Amino acid sequence: MSAVATREPTTVVHIVKGEAVFDAEVRYGTATPFLTPRLDLDPLVWPRSEPGPAFNLPLDEILDVLVATGDRLTRDPDRLLMEALERSTATNPLPRDILERAYANLGAMFARERLLFQIEQELGGRDVLDGWREVNTPSGRRCAIRACPARMIHVIAGNAPGVAASTIMRSALTRGAALIKLPSNDLHTAPAVLRTMAQVAPGHPLTRSFSAVYWRGGDAGVEAALFQPQYFDKLIAWGGESTIRSALKTIGPGLELISFDPKTSISLIGREAFESENTLLEAADRAAADATVFNQQACSSSRFQFVEGDTKQLRRFCELLQQRMAAPRLTASNAPMHLPSDLRDEISALRAMDDFYDVYGDEGGSGIVVRSDEPVGFQPDHKIVNVVGVQRLEDALDQINVATQTVGIYPEQRKHALRDAIVYAGAQRVVSLGAAGAVDHGLPHDGFRPLDRLVRWVNDEALPQS
Amino acid sequence: MTSIREQLLDMIEAPNAFDIPRTELEDMQLTAARDLFKERRGQIRILDKRATDTGIGEIRTFDDLVPLLFAHTVYKSYPPSFIEQGRWDRMLQWLGTLSVPDVKNTDVQGVKDVDEWIDRLNAAGHVILATSGTTGKNSFLLQTQEDVDRRRFYFRHAKGWPYVKPNQDRPFFALGPSKGPTSAVETYHLHADVFGRPGQKYFLSDEPIRISEISRLAALRKRMSEGRASPSEVRATAEESQARFKDMTARIEELTRLILEHRHEPIYVSGQYAQHMMILECAHAMGAKDGEFHPDSLVHIGGGVKNVVLPPDYKEQVDRFWGKVHRAPTYGMTEMAQALVRCEAGRYHRAPGLIMLILDQAGERLLTPADAVDGMAVGRMGFLDLLYEGRWGGIISGDKVTVDFSERCPCGRHGPTLLDNISRFSQPGEDDHIGCSGTLEAYIRGALPS
Repeated sequence: MSAVATREPTTVVHIVKGEAVFDAEVRYGTATPFLTPRLDLDPLVWPRSEPGPAFNLPLDEILDVLVATGDRLTRDPDRLLMEALERSTATNPLPRDILERAYANLGAMFARERLLFQIEQELGGRDVLDGWREVNTPSGRRCAIRACPARMIHVIAGNAPGVAASTIMRSALTRGAALIKLPSNDLHTAPAVLRTMAQVAPGHPLTRSFSAVYWRGGDAGVEAALFQPQYFDKLIAWGGESTIRSALKTIGPGLELISFDPKTSISLIGREAFESENTLLEAADRAAADATVFNQQACSSSRFQFVEGDTKQLRRFCELLQQRMAAPRLTASNAPMHLPSDLRDEISALRAMDDFYDVYGDEGGSGIVVRSDEPVGFQPDHKIVNVVGVQRLEDALDQINVATQTVGIYPEQRKHALRDAIVYAGAQRVVSLGAAGAVDHGLPHDGFRPLDRLVRWVNDEALPQS
Repeated sequence: MTSIREQLLDMIEAPNAFDIPRTELEDMQLTAARDLFKERRGQIRILDKRATDTGIGEIRTFDDLVPLLFAHTVYKSYPPSFIEQGRWDRMLQWLGTLSVPDVKNTDVQGVKDVDEWIDRLNAAGHVILATSGTTGKNSFLLQTQEDVDRRRFYFRHAKGWPYVKPNQDRPFFALGPSKGPTSAVETYHLHADVFGRPGQKYFLSDEPIRISEISRLAALRKRMSEGRASPSEVRATAEESQARFKDMTARIEELTRLILEHRHEPIYVSGQYAQHMMILECAHAMGAKDGEFHPDSLVHIGGGVKNVVLPPDYKEQVDRFWGKVHRAPTYGMTEMAQALVRCEAGRYHRAPGLIMLILDQAGERLLTPADAVDGMAVGRMGFLDLLYEGRWGGIISGDKVTVDFSERCPCGRHGPTLLDNISRFSQPGEDDHIGCSGTLEAYIRGALPS
């Protein structure tokens, strides 16, 4: 009737066991409508009576397909990523320029040395993938262990295209069979990557190991039928309680939940930042980089920044921080912010209360910084940073808890003294300020090593020596 | 001579208060808004600041009001430590920037908690309404005693419309507490004042609602999230609030008996679904049947189904129980003094003293008949309530409303009206978005009432 322009629905491609399905029959969404093929549940499961398509593939063959897929993603000769980008701009809340750069860098994730690094770091070597690793026990038994492929459902997050790509990469490295449930904020990345894989290896067992489809999250009919231990070993869920609420009903013996929990991140900035104009600029720039990772839609992006300094110093820092949040960066955009009304209300209230808060910036797109004497009562989001003064960085340890993912520290030399206390309090990642957005697969993620969890560890055990 | 604004407020006395042609009303409303803004700008610092920031020097059209509407969050924008650390003078300073009267006359010496702070404000002549948000942080809204009296005057002429006229002649039952600084309690009392028969006004409880209690729960949630609350503390608090709920049983029985005694004469009952269900169950246990109440009775039912388990058909059950009585629902919020009333055609009509400002979804632009399709447009509810002496009555809400700009309502009276389909604007994006970022709230399990 008014206000909201009705958009033409975009079309979502489903992948079912490596085959693309193009029919656009079912309509979802209101503000950003999209059409998907009708869901046929039966082909989405892998019967236990036979091994998954890639269960017996040699690792080298998998690496070859992945590397070739990455290479083709970078070149995109069939313009599959380009098509995904065009369609995503309608349904993905991220600004187009961020998506463009993210897609341009997707292929690099599949570089061979990166894949081998992951296997080495997360599984302790490739031998457990290619076969059985011999283990001699203290009791004198000759045994062997293996990282056995699993059947997986991935309920992935859509706040950055890398989530879809890394899900495919991890599943492939473990040779698993995977069903990816597409999120409505990223409906196109996983199908585009899988279609690219199908171009480099049509009909290949690895290609046939993947399905990627949409259903409305929490659809009880679909989820109760699929989330069964007879079909799947593991449910890998991103996001919060609402994401896994219906999954929790079905999680039980035989179906394991692996959760990439919802997280928040902060920064700790020492008084050293105020030593010179140069150090201050450097700290503000790095703090801005951490605050704008995927325009703050990533869990690693900093939302609260605790700074050792007096109010005057903090005001200067806030000014610079807000300016630097507008700087061009790979995963940040200056596209106008579309603040949800609750956040806009919060900001407008703080702006009015200038006895207690300083607010820098507006909704133009460069970001907003709020200075206060204590953390604000809401979760900063969409490029909003709350800068809070502290006497000592140690005072901010109170703010770290089970929901904290990344803590960025300035300067470098303060990291050592703080990092144990930070991880004991619940955080899982300490970085040099400015490195929050850096991603190296192979390092632990959310407190565990993903590949290690995505396989089933199995044993072959001999009789005791007599 | 009375001001245009007072004239508008007084018009509620007229039999056609909800049937005045739009053009006739709007000229007066615009004049009243212009005068009120001019006066308030010099009295309310936040309004002056907003006016300066947005460059609005004068109200020439209703559009000029749009940037001057406050979000409800402004009334809870104080730093939480002011309450946690008992900095009551700072709280006064904060409240002062939002209020017309000077609150510095309040003695905050030795104040122990937020309830006492509110009591002291009362003692100094300031009436405070507190609300609890979902975050546990309370809003505080100041009104004057005159505002309360004006509101009672409004109730006397608008409540029960268009079926029943308040006449202080019916047994009155409030299925809620009689004491406490909340809008619900105030509303119960105003209803009691205008509908209730002297000597026959009954409340569910005289145990005051304590804001510090609500704040204590919020603080406990915060400590839980920080990992500072002990398991036994969490358990004790959860059990305590359950016990309080159970304590009501005896009083429910007593109230039910009284309600049944008066069921053959017109009565007034108001409460939330959970309490209506308790009365219903109790009445059934006492042998009463559904639909036995006098048809001129007036029954108000609010939302409030949080933290209670109700049968899936609770609405139907409550409906059947009261049967063919009058309902006369209204649409309002704590920030509004003059709630909209619903006509026979199921449309909400506004009082002459309430300037309805329906905005686009972003809340930036006033919708006009030009935005409408078949006379209707969907927008965000905003308004300037001309009644308040104590604060600025301009508010932008998160409510999604459908406005009918037509000259006439299907009931025959003049429009504009709101349809009976009020809901909340959902956040941008679809409900199925998944991200990896999240807050502590996701890590607090349901042990505590929120």
